Amino acid sequence: MPITSKGFARYSLALIIVGLLALIGVVAATIWLVERTQVYFEEVVEAREGRQAAVELRNLLQDAQSSQRGFLLTLDDAYLEPYQNAIGRIQPAYDRLAAVLAAYPQADEPMAQMQIDINDKLAELSQTIDLAAAGQSDEALAIVTTDTGEQMMTRMRTLLDAVIAAADERTFNGIVDQRGAANALRIVALIAALVIIAVVGGAAWMVLRYTRELDYARSEVEALNHDLEARVAERTTDLRRANEEVQRFAYIVTHDLRAPLVNIMGFTSELESALSPINALVAKHPEDSTDPVIVEARQTALEDLPEAIGFIRSSTRKMDGLINAILKISREGGRALKAERVDLTDLAESTVGAVQHQISDSEGEASIDIATPPVFTDRLALEQVLGNLLDNAIKYRHPDRPIQIEIKGRQERDGRIFIDVSDNGRGIAPEDHDRVFELFRRSGNQNVPGEGIGLAHVRIMARNLGGDITLKSNPVHGTTFTVSIAPDLRAIARSRA
Amino acid sequence: MTIESKPVTIIMIEDDEGHARLIEKNIRRAGVNNQIIPFTNGTDALDFLFGEDGTGEVSAHRHLLILLDLNLPDTTGVQILEKVKANQHTKRTPVVVLTTTDDEREIQRCYDLGANVYITKPVDYDGFANAIRQLGLFFSVMQVPETA
Repeated sequence: MPITSKGFARYSLALIIVGLLALIGVVAATIWLVERTQVYFEEVVEAREGRQAAVELRNLLQDAQSSQRGFLLTLDDAYLEPYQNAIGRIQPAYDRLAAVLAAYPQADEPMAQMQIDINDKLAELSQTIDLAAAGQSDEALAIVTTDTGEQMMTRMRTLLDAVIAAADERTFNGIVDQRGAANALRIVALIAALVIIAVVGGAAWMVLRYTRELDYARSEVEALNHDLEARVAERTTDLRRANEEVQRFAYIVTHDLRAPLVNIMGFTSELESALSPINALVAKHPEDSTDPVIVEARQTALEDLPEAIGFIRSSTRKMDGLINAILKISREGGRALKAERVDLTDLAESTVGAVQHQISDSEGEASIDIATPPVFTDRLALEQVLGNLLDNAIKYRHPDRPIQIEIKGRQERDGRIFIDVSDNGRGIAPEDHDRVFELFRRSGNQNVPGEGIGLAHVRIMARNLGGDITLKSNPVHGTTFTVSIAPDLRAIARSRA
Repeated sequence: MTIESKPVTIIMIEDDEGHARLIEKNIRRAGVNNQIIPFTNGTDALDFLFGEDGTGEVSAHRHLLILLDLNLPDTTGVQILEKVKANQHTKRTPVVVLTTTDDEREIQRCYDLGANVYITKPVDYDGFANAIRQLGLFFSVMQVPETA
C-alpha cells in the first residue's frame, strides 16, 4: 500500500507522540525517584544521627557509671577522669537525641522519663563521688547498693537500645526502598528505551519507504513529462500540418472556383456584346410594329436579356468578391510572420495618418496614448489590424456626431500588450458581438458597402501575433476593440518551430 | 509575329475549354490571325509536339509558340515545359505560361526551366480580357525562331 503524504504526516505525528509520551514517562519517573531518594536519604541521615546520639549517650552514661564504680572501689582519682570527661557531654548528647526524636510523639514520654533519669543518675553519681572523696565510702556504697541507680541505668539503656534498633531498621528499610525505586527506574527506563527504539525504527522505516515511493513517483513523473513533451510536439506538428492543409485547401478551392467564374464572367461579356447586333436588328423594325414575333424579340432584346445579364453580372461579382476574400485570408494565414522591433506609438500615428483626412472631414479627432515598451512583432500584420479597426471606426461612424477615436496601449503584468481602439460610432448590437468576427458576417444596418471580411481578417492576424481580439460596445458610447498581442513574437515562433 | 514570311502556329494547352475560347477570342480581337491549335490535356499536346515516337522530330522547322496552363488534368504544365525546353527540336520555341497560380516559387521554377514569359490570369474577367488582348498585341510584334 503506498503511503500518501497525508498518511505519512499522520503516522509521523502518531510516532512522535508515542516517543514523546515515552520520554515524558522516563522524565516523570526519574523526577519522582529523585524525590523519593531525597526522602530516603534524609530518613537514613536522620536515623543515623539518632543512632549516633543514642550510642553516644549510652556510652557516656556507661563511661560515667563505670568511672564512678572504679573510683568508689579504689578511691583513686585517676579513675575519675572518664567521669569528668563524660558528665559535661551527657546533656548535649541527650539534647541531640531529643531533637532527632522530636518528630516522633510516641517518644515524648520515654524521653521525658529519660531526662528525669539522667538528672537523677547524674545527681546520684556526683553524690556518691563526693561522699567517697570525703571519706565516707560506706555511705556512698550504701547509695549504690540501693539499686535505684542501676534501675535508672537499665531503663535508659533499654530505651536507647530500642532507639538504636529502630534507627537500624529505618536505615535498612530506607536502603531497601531506595533499591526498589532504582529498580523501578531501571525498568521504566528500559521500557521507554524500547518504545523509543521502536518509534525511531518505525519512523526510519517509514521515512525510507516514503522516500523510496517519492523517488519512484518522481521518476514516473519524469517519464510522463518526457512522454508529454513528445506528445505535445507531435500534436503541434499535427496541428501545423492540419493548418497548412486547411490553407492549401482554401487556396486550391478558391483557385478552382475562380476558373469557372472567369468563364461565366467572360461569356456574360460576350453575351452582352452579342446583344448590340441583335438590338440593331430589332431597331430596324418600326417601334409600333404589331407583329407578335417582333414585339417579343424587342421585349427580349431590350428588357429580358439585359436584366438577366445584369443579375448574372452582379451575382458573379459578389461571388468573385467572396472568393477573393477567402483567398486573401488564406494567403494572410500562410504568410510567414517577421518579428521586428516596432514602436507602437509610431505605428499608431502612421496608421491614424492614413485616415486623418477622413477624420478631419467630419471635424473629428483621434488621440493616441501608448504606454508600452517597443514590441517585437510583425509590423505589417499589426498595421493591418489597426488599419482595419480605424477603417471600421470611420465607416460605421454615428451620423450625428463628429468622429472621436482613441488608441490606448498598455502592458499587463504577464507581459502581454493590449491595444484599445475606441470609437464613438453607431455600436454593435450585443447579439452580434461574436458574429462580427466571423467571415462574411456583418452587423447592423447594411447601408455601408462591405464584404464582411475585415474583422475576420483582424482576428486571424491578432491570433497569429500570439493574441486575440475582443470588443465592448453600446449604441450610446460606441465600440471599443481590444487587441492583445504577444510582446515578443520570436518566442512564439521558436515554440512553433 | 512574322506572320507574312513564316506563319507561326500558336499551340494553346489549356484544360478549361471556356478559358481557351475566351483566350482565343481576345487574341483575335488584338488582330492576331495566326492558326491556334487548342489542346485540353497534356498527352495530346505532347503527341503533337514530339510525335508518335516522342523524339520531337515532327517539330523540326516549325514555327511554334506555346501558350501553357500549369494546371492540367493528366500532367502538369511544368512537366511539359521541362520536356519542351529539354528537346533539341523544341527548345527555342517561346513558351508563355498563362496560369492562375501566382506562387512565387512556381514562377521561379518556370523561369528556371526556361519559360519565356509567365503571366498570371487576372481574377476578374475585364482584367483577364485586357491581359489577353495585350498578350495578343505582344504576339503580333514578337519574333519566333524556327525550331531546329
